[in-house]
Amino acid sequence: MRRLAMALALGVAAMAAPARIAGAQPASGPGEVLLTIEKNRFDPEEIRVKAGAPFVLVVTNKDGAPEEFESHDLKIERVIAPGKTARFRIPALKAGSYSFVGEYHEKTAKGRIIAE
Amino acid sequence: MGAAFVVTLREAFEAALLLGIVYGCLDRIGARDAFRWVTLGGALGLAASLAMGAAVGLLSGPLQDLGPDVVAAAIMFLAVVLLTWHAWWMQQHARAIRTDVEQRIARAQFTRRFWIAGLIAFVGVFREGAETVLFLWGIFSEATTAAGWGAVGGGVAGIAVAAALGWAVFRGGRRVSLSKFFTATTALILLLSAGLFSSGVGRLEGLGVLPMSAPVWDTSSILSDRSVVGSFLGGLVGYRSRPSAFEAGAYLAYLVVAALLVFGRRGRPTVAVEAPSLARRTSSIR
Repeated sequence: MRRLAMALALGVAAMAAPARIAGAQPASGPGEVLLTIEKNRFDPEEIRVKAGAPFVLVVTNKDGAPEEFESHDLKIERVIAPGKTARFRIPALKAGSYSFVGEYHEKTAKGRIIAE
Repeated sequence: MGAAFVVTLREAFEAALLLGIVYGCLDRIGARDAFRWVTLGGALGLAASLAMGAAVGLLSGPLQDLGPDVVAAAIMFLAVVLLTWHAWWMQQHARAIRTDVEQRIARAQFTRRFWIAGLIAFVGVFREGAETVLFLWGIFSEATTAAGWGAVGGGVAGIAVAAALGWAVFRGGRRVSLSKFFTATTALILLLSAGLFSSGVGRLEGLGVLPMSAPVWDTSSILSDRSVVGSFLGGLVGYRSRPSAFEAGAYLAYLVVAALLVFGRRGRPTVAVEAPSLARRTSSIR
């Protein structure tokens, strides 16, 4: 089981790595937006997307504890286990700001998606 | 510590409230022997929460991405159906209890449906149980410092306070008159269900089953649903500071339909009509 988790974590890291090197725009695959949770904070804390275009939000929890990714604005709420990656299919958004939090660490884990 | 306290209080509040109401109702109709079904349902809900909590760490791929969301939405709608039934039942049968015979009839009727009381307890505990379990697991794993242990204390205290509130509903329910008790709990259940239904519809928006709709109002600067009071009201009556058109519409539509269903056929309660035949049946059983 531990091996599997290792492989998964490595796989996630491998997938996430090129995007991070790519710099400012964290998007990797077509329509994918990457988000990491580390030390109970989101990275990046602000995501800019095109309004009217659906995308996939890929959230990786790099912390040692579970985190609940929650957004009342986007109507999503899911616990992400340590080292796991969750994918959320976000429908086309109208222009505006959509906030999200890590419910288990609400003081620090905050961010928003800006559709423009 | 304070943050952990608020999270567990918020997560456990609904379950405690529902358990307090269901135990209270059974107590008031004199069906204490059905308590065990509620306890069993609650215990199974806890077991399912632990299993789900473990599964979150094990699942992967599409099962991880869709499974918990679909289960969460299904549980919400199931809870709405069960609670609506409960409110309807109380209004139709339990409200009419005045005599000992009527109490026995109500009890017999409920005993045949004890599994529904158990199921309400199961759903109530399971709905946010897995999240609570995972949260506690998280704060325990982070408890290496004094602040970490403070969070553990806060988390445990949150659950304890929620349980105390549930207990207060149960105890308080015994002090008020029967009709007051049933009216208050029916209203509470309907508001709570309306909130659940609205959240379920919102979840369908998040899952892409329904299109995203714009917020109808924005009161987040006055009372954010992330604040203590806001989240409390959120759990109790379904308060949202930025509800979408679908969520707000679903809330209203549910309240109207459920109120008609539950309060619509007032007047002669069915208990009185069925009384003679049922009274015979119950007395022959006992």
